[in-house]
Amino acid sequence: MSAPLYRLRGVEAGYGEAAGLGPLAASVLHVPELSIAHGSIVGLAGHNGSGKSTLLKLLGFLLSPSMGDVYFDGRLVDQAALRAGHLLRRRAVLLGQDTCLLKRSVAANVFYGLKVRGLGADRRAVDWALELVGLDPVLFARRAWYELSGGEAQRVALAARLVLRPKVLLLDEPTASLDEESALRIREASLAAREQWGATLVAVSHDMIWLRSLSDEIVFMRGGRLTEAPSGIHGWSAVSVSA
Amino acid sequence: MDYFSEGLTKAVALLLALDPETFSAVWATASVTALALIASLLMGLPLGFALGHFHFPGRRGVRLFVDWMLSLPTVVIGLIVYAFLTARGPLGEWGLLFSVPGMALGLTLLGLPIIISMTATAVESTDSRLTQTLLSLGADRWQLLWATLTEARFAMALAAATAFGRIVSEVGIAMMVGGNIKWQTRTITTAIALETGKGEFATGIALGIVLMIVALVVNLLVGLLRGRANGSAGGHRAGGGRT
Repeated sequence: MSAPLYRLRGVEAGYGEAAGLGPLAASVLHVPELSIAHGSIVGLAGHNGSGKSTLLKLLGFLLSPSMGDVYFDGRLVDQAALRAGHLLRRRAVLLGQDTCLLKRSVAANVFYGLKVRGLGADRRAVDWALELVGLDPVLFARRAWYELSGGEAQRVALAARLVLRPKVLLLDEPTASLDEESALRIREASLAAREQWGATLVAVSHDMIWLRSLSDEIVFMRGGRLTEAPSGIHGWSAVSVSA
Repeated sequence: MDYFSEGLTKAVALLLALDPETFSAVWATASVTALALIASLLMGLPLGFALGHFHFPGRRGVRLFVDWMLSLPTVVIGLIVYAFLTARGPLGEWGLLFSVPGMALGLTLLGLPIIISMTATAVESTDSRLTQTLLSLGADRWQLLWATLTEARFAMALAAATAFGRIVSEVGIAMMVGGNIKWQTRTITTAIALETGKGEFATGIALGIVLMIVALVVNLLVGLLRGRANGSAGGHRAGGGRT
């Protein structure tokens, strides 16, 4: 059996003091043990403030743990790895709650991630990513960022991540305040990421129907801790947790 | 009303005949404004960016100082610059008093705080969501800095247009430091003040027309830039845009 993609052991994380930033805040995330298998789709559910977004930021290397060990793809993520954090973030890409589009055209937004990786302008890749999220490249590629609806903007943001074919795709409430069609498109595009290149997905959502339709497994969080699934939720094969 | 319409007719005739004295003031205004604006931008954009992007000890004090500079009466700025440039002043040997570069120096002190303050505000307002978006797309430290700078480009252009409007229409500093010398340091605003005092309304109105056209163009530009700068508030919030 191969090593899990992520393995967290005794991890504590948070903002302020816990993150080495100041004396006021304490840890908001406590994870004794968590493993996520390659190619799995894990849903994270829980109330506001339960630590879901913090866990996603940790998995996306946008937040360092104050304690504990994080293993990614079989390697310990130590201080040296975190100093070159952009290399890790190029493999684990987050579509965050606070994601915004750049003040550029749709095509330039989708292309940006390729550009920072030193890859040339590939219009076919941009068109492919837009089609994957259900946007017609002919109609949308040249549009400016301010000419998009909320749902279209969110799909462009997802296309900007899918075009990178990341090993891990982290989705933080990607369907919040979107209509049913946009939510469906985002689900289909996310599933395509696993089908086409074996991406591992971790998604946060308050929409349990959407989350269950996407995920292999759902992990529940409360007070920064992983908890047992409520009755009726089964299956923990891809994720192993210890509360 | 007759003398007003007569003055207006004469003014149009002066402009159409490319009256040398009138256009001397226009040229002086253009030279001084260009010099002051370029100096303000060269110093103000990096300082404003640093003030808005980086957190350092004394940042609030610097911000307070810049805001205080914004509220300084122009006649006080003129007085201070005059005191420095006069023959007995610390910079007297530079011989800048009653010269175009001397006026540009004074007007730079007017434009600089505008550029710094508006650039810092623009960068501050884009920073939080934009930083996470750029990092999650894999940007390294330098790519993050550059993208933040380019994302604030509309707001920076708005700052430049605002500073231009203030500099081109300024009269106190131009009068005190420039001395209103015909063919040399007489600008549109100082010429209007002088000609009106002499009862030469035609020249005053002609110059006023030029200034009003400039003001109209600048206002149109500012309106356009403000729309672009606010169009997405630091990039379109994916999922929260036009519906």
